[in-house]
Amino acid sequence: MTAQSNDRPAQPRPEPILRVSGLNVDFYVEGEWFPAAIDVGYEVHAGEVVAIVGESGSGKTQSAMALVGLLPPNARVSGSVKLDGRELVGMRASELQTIRGAQVAMVFQEPMTALNPVYTIGFQIVETIRAHSRMASKRARARALELLRLVDMPDPATRIDYYPHQLSGGQRQRAMIAQALVLDPKLLIADEPTTALDVTVQAEILGLMRDLRRRIDSGIILITHDMGVVADMADRICVMKDGRIVEAGASRQIFYQPRHPYTKLLLAAVPKLDLEPADAAPRLPSPPADAARPASAAIRQPPAPPPAPAEPGLGAGGAASGKGLSAEAGEPVMASEGLTLEYPRRGRTGAFRAVEDFDLRIGPGEVVGLVGESGSGKSTVGRAVVGLLPVHAGSLKVAGYQLNGIRPADLRRAREGVSIVFQDPGSSLNPRLPIGQSVGEPLALHRLARGKELDARVAELLEQVRLPASLRNRYPHELSGGQRQRVGIARALALKPKLLIADEPTSALDVSVQATVLELFSELQQEHHFACLFISHDLAVVELLASRIAVMSKGRLVETGTAAEILRHPREAYTRELIAAVPVPDPDLQARRRLAFERRARP
Amino acid sequence: MLAPVFSFIARRVAVGSVVLLGATFIVFMMVAWAVDPLADLRTSNVPNKQFLIEQRTEALDLDMAPVLRYFKWLGNVVAYLWGQGTFGVAVTNGQPVADQLAVAVPTTLKLVSASVVLAILLGVTVGIVTALRQYSSFDYLTTFFTFLFYSLPAFWVAVLLKQFGAIRFNDFLADPRVPIWAVALVALAVGGLAAMVAAGRPRGRLIIGLVAFAGAAAVMGYISASNFLLEPGLGIVGVTLTGAGAAVALAALTAGLSNRRALWASLSTVAVGAALYFPLQYAFVHASWPVLLGLWATSAVVGVAAGLAWGGDDRFVSARTAALTGLVMSVFVFADRLMKAWPSYVGHPRVNGRPIGTLGAVTPELGGTFWLSATDVLTHLVLPTTALVLISFASYTRYTRASMLEVMNADYIRTARAKGLGERTVVVRHAFRNALIPLATVIPIDIALIFGGAIITERIFSWRGMGTMFIEALRQGEIYSVMGYFLVTAALAISANIVADLIYAGLDPRIRVNA
Amino acid sequence: MSQNQVPAPDAAPAPDAVPAPDAAPEPVAGGLANLTGLLPQGDLAAGAGENAIELKATEGLSQGQIVRRRFWRHRGAIVAMVFLAGIIVLVTTSIGWGPIPGWWKHNYSSTYPIVNPGGAPTLVVSLTEGVHIGEHPFGQDTVGHDMFAMTMRGAQQSLTVMVLIGLLATVIGVLVGATAGFFRGKADTLLMRFTDMMIAIPVMVIGLVLGHWVNGASALTLGLALAFVQWMAMSRLVRAEFLSLREREFVDAARVAGASSTRIIVKHILPNAVGVIIVNATLLMSVAILLETALSYLGFGIHFPDISLGNLISEYQSAFAQRPWLFWWPGFFIITIALSVNFIGDGLRDAFDPRQRRIPSKRKMARAARKAAAR
Repeated sequence: MTAQSNDRPAQPRPEPILRVSGLNVDFYVEGEWFPAAIDVGYEVHAGEVVAIVGESGSGKTQSAMALVGLLPPNARVSGSVKLDGRELVGMRASELQTIRGAQVAMVFQEPMTALNPVYTIGFQIVETIRAHSRMASKRARARALELLRLVDMPDPATRIDYYPHQLSGGQRQRAMIAQALVLDPKLLIADEPTTALDVTVQAEILGLMRDLRRRIDSGIILITHDMGVVADMADRICVMKDGRIVEAGASRQIFYQPRHPYTKLLLAAVPKLDLEPADAAPRLPSPPADAARPASAAIRQPPAPPPAPAEPGLGAGGAASGKGLSAEAGEPVMASEGLTLEYPRRGRTGAFRAVEDFDLRIGPGEVVGLVGESGSGKSTVGRAVVGLLPVHAGSLKVAGYQLNGIRPADLRRAREGVSIVFQDPGSSLNPRLPIGQSVGEPLALHRLARGKELDARVAELLEQVRLPASLRNRYPHELSGGQRQRVGIARALALKPKLLIADEPTSALDVSVQATVLELFSELQQEHHFACLFISHDLAVVELLASRIAVMSKGRLVETGTAAEILRHPREAYTRELIAAVPVPDPDLQARRRLAFERRARP
Repeated sequence: MLAPVFSFIARRVAVGSVVLLGATFIVFMMVAWAVDPLADLRTSNVPNKQFLIEQRTEALDLDMAPVLRYFKWLGNVVAYLWGQGTFGVAVTNGQPVADQLAVAVPTTLKLVSASVVLAILLGVTVGIVTALRQYSSFDYLTTFFTFLFYSLPAFWVAVLLKQFGAIRFNDFLADPRVPIWAVALVALAVGGLAAMVAAGRPRGRLIIGLVAFAGAAAVMGYISASNFLLEPGLGIVGVTLTGAGAAVALAALTAGLSNRRALWASLSTVAVGAALYFPLQYAFVHASWPVLLGLWATSAVVGVAAGLAWGGDDRFVSARTAALTGLVMSVFVFADRLMKAWPSYVGHPRVNGRPIGTLGAVTPELGGTFWLSATDVLTHLVLPTTALVLISFASYTRYTRASMLEVMNADYIRTARAKGLGERTVVVRHAFRNALIPLATVIPIDIALIFGGAIITERIFSWRGMGTMFIEALRQGEIYSVMGYFLVTAALAISANIVADLIYAGLDPRIRVNA
Repeated sequence: MSQNQVPAPDAAPAPDAVPAPDAAPEPVAGGLANLTGLLPQGDLAAGAGENAIELKATEGLSQGQIVRRRFWRHRGAIVAMVFLAGIIVLVTTSIGWGPIPGWWKHNYSSTYPIVNPGGAPTLVVSLTEGVHIGEHPFGQDTVGHDMFAMTMRGAQQSLTVMVLIGLLATVIGVLVGATAGFFRGKADTLLMRFTDMMIAIPVMVIGLVLGHWVNGASALTLGLALAFVQWMAMSRLVRAEFLSLREREFVDAARVAGASSTRIIVKHILPNAVGVIIVNATLLMSVAILLETALSYLGFGIHFPDISLGNLISEYQSAFAQRPWLFWWPGFFIITIALSVNFIGDGLRDAFDPRQRRIPSKRKMARAARKAAAR
């Protein structure tokens, strides 16, 4: 259990690089000051990773941006931030400028927008060097190249002259990290550095950061919402909520003995991959919440419905009748054979084949998880199943209708049996319609209800998703993300579909919100017995709900199997890699997994 | 790399030609239907009226259906492009349309080019400043004035300019003493603006405002007292001082004052200019436009050389800054020489003490030296250029402002700050370079529009350019002249769109033209 | 640990809890906020957007109400509205318009004996003498026409043309743009090429054709005709808006729910494009009034004896030195109308598209801080 603490100094050095105390950040909005961070205090030592964890609105980013004066003009900062004993709060702008980039560097969340699109990455790195030193441009370029090598940029001598858009997401983030490290900063602030990346790329970037941290001896502030990332990286953790640090401590202490209820909640809300180490036998159901493990995932044990939605081995989605592997129990609600999907050519851009030769069957009441990284074509499949994208070749039968070459009138009828919940709750509801109308629209359009009856049905649907019926006259912008997603689910259930497509329904939500939405979802599934194609990039989320899992990559189906098979005995290398890349919110377990992952990556 | 560009251009030209064909057809039909080329003959009482009517009918193929006439015209155009014939002849004066265009196009070019450059420079600068000082009093003030300029009818402005810019100003030149209240007013305005634009704490801004106030008052006082308006001139001292000022400003803007080499390079360019001041006066005796353009280009080369000579790691930055300084410096030298010609111009019998022209592009039968006629061209350009700048400057300001505001919120601006770059680098290198992308694509289209649309300005100031040609042709029912005008302006508009796309692709590495 | 004790930031009622009878949107947790939009970047990926502060400000309002509220905060637009309303009232009631009776004693076509020397205005505004309107407040021309009545008539005509162009061109532009943007493909290409073609056609030609057709344009015919060559900018903008809106997930959702294309356009996309349409209709009007006056000035619009603000200026520009009032008043009305419309357009743009958020002044921020401290 002490294996992973070896990269951390046994005794924190007496003088920290950074000492933050009593830091307050306020924002001026419409004549009032609103606090974004209150009395924040922590220390960062050299070679140490301090993670600041919190959900949206917790003030974690703002408090970090405040350290070096990167807040917008309507912000005000008070308190003390001492970098090597120098006070940064209230420092003159010109002086602060010499510290930024040279002593305190930053890595941002979205490298595509954080790098200037019109300059090459080499130019941008050289510019950083030359803003702070009189280094000759040749030498600066050599230094930039050296850094790109350090961050394992493939073919750095060529890539140095690439524009950001010519690089992949992971490469961009590597360039961003190279730029940040080029002047050997004392402190590196990484703001959600891997949130925009796929898990496998995330694993690589995290590996890189761990590796660098050993070599450069900077202090690192890691801002993230992802407990898995924290477990992988952090030495110490500050948990933030509503602008305050509610709990701080060493990583293992936070994970294994959380004291504050919010920390407990946060840990509990994270869906956790249920993997037994390497080659254990199929797990026993109901994992005991032993002391050495993080406060166990509460979502596994919702109080009301006894059959736990995510009983490993059985699958969450099993309806009472067709539980588990009952795909053959009845006529499948969705069956595809050799399905090929293309985005038609538009103008001069040729057609793009997004999905090829895709075979999948979903039985009535069965929940199938469709997992893949971005660009794998998983959402395209979902869109095709609801008829939003024409079938290019092959067969796709949904709710008894062959969608290949279907006539509009039949498509309309087919759609009575299938519906979809979208990823972005902000975009999936018409901002100009009160949500009652959005929910009732399918009913009204299919002439299933009108007038009073429609009102009653809408109220019923809203109550089903645990929203008060009175919300029906509200507009989407008045609702929180979680509430909007509930509305989306209510709308999808309006026609009592046989098949529901859930396209990353929770990936835009905070973990705690995600937990409640997922729980609601699984309850509804058990109540209404609809079959479901649950699309997600997050294996842990899929595992909670699905009895079978299909893995996609680059437009093709990699493998399918029961959740237990896929997670514990994956047949394909890609699946194994995917599973290995997911960081689990448990420092000890994650350390073991990381070792295994690295061993596999570098034999 | 080149092939896609060519295929892109070829494709766009093909599509553009189709659009052009369609548009010319529509316009031809409309004009053919609306005008009656025989109107003047029908009402006349000449004895051979019938013969004349037949003759003209014959000449214009009026007995043919308009559709056929269109295709005949089209054939003529193709033949003309092939090098044969002319596409139509004006009936009333027998002038070939091609010849009319040969006169009108250069006139309009002369009229609009200066105003386009000025409007872009002014508009973009003011736009950037308002964006950086968003919701400051300067921003509100510019917003009001840009809206006011938007709302000004061109003809109204032009008439006012004629009255106050020419007639009253010429009256004033008879005894050019600036009253003290006017000095105070102008100085107050300058000082106020400077204080508004300046950043920082109120104290600093107050000081800047006071300095600007005093400076403006001194300049105005000097102008009034020294009879500058009648006997202007900078002299070698004035040229050197203004040049040095420009050098410092340009270095601060394009390279940052911390880049000493760029500053020294620009200043040495100014020194070279000053050293060449007297030799140049002799060279100016035999000046002509090509010679001057050559000298102008040479000054940029001198700047580049100075920049490279100062060497250093950023020698290309220094060279760029110094080249710009060279260009500006030579403009000062040129202006100084023009000023020396001013008294003889004002005293010229054909000018007769009223130098600001309101009619036409030049004073007819002026004669005299190159410098006299150059002054004449410029005095005739002053008013129409002002009118055009006033009208188009507003939209550039708004556009730049919006574009800059959008960019200043981008993530990479935060990254640039996080890297510890100075505010100048953040704004110029990171923000403006990106804000330029949408801006640069409007500019060609705007130029095409102003080229065909300076109709009112041309008419009021009696320039015989494209607009005048068009209006008169419309009035007289000269269908071929109308079509000639339309062909040129529409082709220009279509090419402007293609150019805009190419610029876009050139400025934004994300865009590839073959996509 | 059970789920329903969880004080989740998403304050949706916990599964087992009884939903409150009227759950307010989102209790603003301790006045805290993720100030998405005001901050360079929201906190969490994909912008979960629990922007409590924004919610606080706009609780219980429909989009339309929010827009109206923002509009009312735009001082320039409000002043402009007052000005424009004043002008419209003055113009319609003074010399009468159609069924509306006029209160002004003169009309625009008769000549009257010259009152002041040279026909100078009788309007006097001074501190010592007070305000006198007199017989001919805006003066008279050489023949004795009453300039006030003529200006009113001209403004009537110009306003008519402006509104006609604004409305009709908007309708055409929206139809073309919506069709092109929604159906894409061949229809889009065809319509956009047609739009390119129409953009190329000079407006003067329209004036000429119209003059030939109806033997001199009236405000009505001129407005109608110009609308047919002024819709192109609108159609391009609407097309762009439709192209982006049709990719939004709520449109997909409506389609899956069984909505027809017509319903999607009318009920889902159009209402969301209304901001762009209204703002540009306003700007279109400000262009329209300048266009009408310019055309009339050049003699391709409204001709004498009928009056528009443009041909008044054209008629009297040579008399500027002797009778400047003949020039100032019509110009003043053109500028005031166009300026008001521009400011209203700016206010509407701010209201519909608040992306360019206000950065408060230092002074205001300090005041709020003092207030907070006092509390």
